[in-house]
Amino acid sequence: MPEINMKVNDTWRKGTAKPGQTLLEFLRKELHCTEVKLGCGRGDCGACTVIMNGQIVDSCLVLALQADGASIVTAKGFGTKEHPHPIQKAFMEKGALQCGFCTPGMVVAAKALLDKKRNPTRDEIQRGLSGNLCRCTGYKKIEEAVEAASRAMADQ
Amino acid sequence: MHIRDHFFPESVREAVDLLQREKGRARLIAGGTDLTVAIRNGKNRFEVLVDVSKIPGLDSITLQDGLIEIGSRVTMTQAETNKLIVKHGTALAEGCSWVGGPQIRNRATIVGNVVSAQPAADAAVPLFAFDALLRVVGVDGSRTVKIGEAYAGVGESTVDPTSELVTSIVLKIQGEGEVSVFKRMMRRKAMALPVLNCAVWIRREKKRFAEVRIALGPVASTPVRAIVVEDQLKGKEISIENIREAALGAADFASPRNSPFRGSEAYRKEMVRVIVMDAFNEVLSRFEKDSKHARN
Repeated sequence: MPEINMKVNDTWRKGTAKPGQTLLEFLRKELHCTEVKLGCGRGDCGACTVIMNGQIVDSCLVLALQADGASIVTAKGFGTKEHPHPIQKAFMEKGALQCGFCTPGMVVAAKALLDKKRNPTRDEIQRGLSGNLCRCTGYKKIEEAVEAASRAMADQ
Repeated sequence: MHIRDHFFPESVREAVDLLQREKGRARLIAGGTDLTVAIRNGKNRFEVLVDVSKIPGLDSITLQDGLIEIGSRVTMTQAETNKLIVKHGTALAEGCSWVGGPQIRNRATIVGNVVSAQPAADAAVPLFAFDALLRVVGVDGSRTVKIGEAYAGVGESTVDPTSELVTSIVLKIQGEGEVSVFKRMMRRKAMALPVLNCAVWIRREKKRFAEVRIALGPVASTPVRAIVVEDQLKGKEISIENIREAALGAADFASPRNSPFRGSEAYRKEMVRVIVMDAFNEVLSRFEKDSKHARN
């Protein structure tokens, strides 16, 4: 079985991937990155969102072998429990999560958005997060959190 | 079906040779946003993947001799933000911007959208309005396929991804006096299938419609051109009355089905009139904007 290597959250790691196996399954089962969530498994919900070579993707729609040599960022790739990233802090402060299942994908999408646009408009935030579904919050608080995070990041 | 192998050829020739060697057991994969779902559901009829991601040149967008050539690995995100496509193939950039969400658009390719052959495909419908061509390479050499001839039915392409590879899509750039528009009707502004979509390409001469192409989806088993309506409009004066008549004609022409996701046949027929009217109104606005630019 092919061995592949990828840089996950700044650390190069290797593992064996089966042909046809998704990146999502590889990250969870082989590299134990369980912060990447399996939601719908067909690209509808965005819970499995990771940043791959600078762009967000649904890891359920990428095959592990296609990510050989790639750089991957998950929700664990920025901030820690002790020192949360401004995005993570803003999600907590604004109450932008309830059950939390969509959150790892949501913050990753927000990170990719803010990496590209420091000060996005409400419309740009909505479009940037449009591939991520949340069944609890109604999105308003998530949008507020991303706005707050963009302000906090500008102040840094 | 279990996936036995996943190859990454480094040239078109090597890819085609691999397909030939596997005799229908292998198929091409690019962005994979449709195929990974099929594999996960066990609905794949292939056991080998031939991946185009390491073939150089397939991700380029070039302009030469009045033609835009879009490589078969160009994603929706690339297309919606590419200056050449936005300027010279406006409706295509607009169509691509509506596919799925950002995660999907970062992976899904325009060519994949065509070969998957869904009648509602937001990137494919504008290609009908541009009367685009596909360049295809197979074991027996290369051929070009008109977009209208790339479809055999719902989910069935005349391009066989188990034996041949689309290398690029070619479309004529929008020249002087030409505009294109894409419109979409949906229940939610992202991650929702279109109730209807429509792409219109127009060339005007003075105050008349010199040439007209109207593409609609999903109102038949493939994206379709409303050629009857196009012919009626050709040569006519650009006026609200004539546009209204064309919109009614398009509704008459379209045969949408009853769909639990998309609405009833009667509703969607009426909505064809509305979406075509919207598209032509946008055409008028763009013509006026162009004239203002020309005057300034």
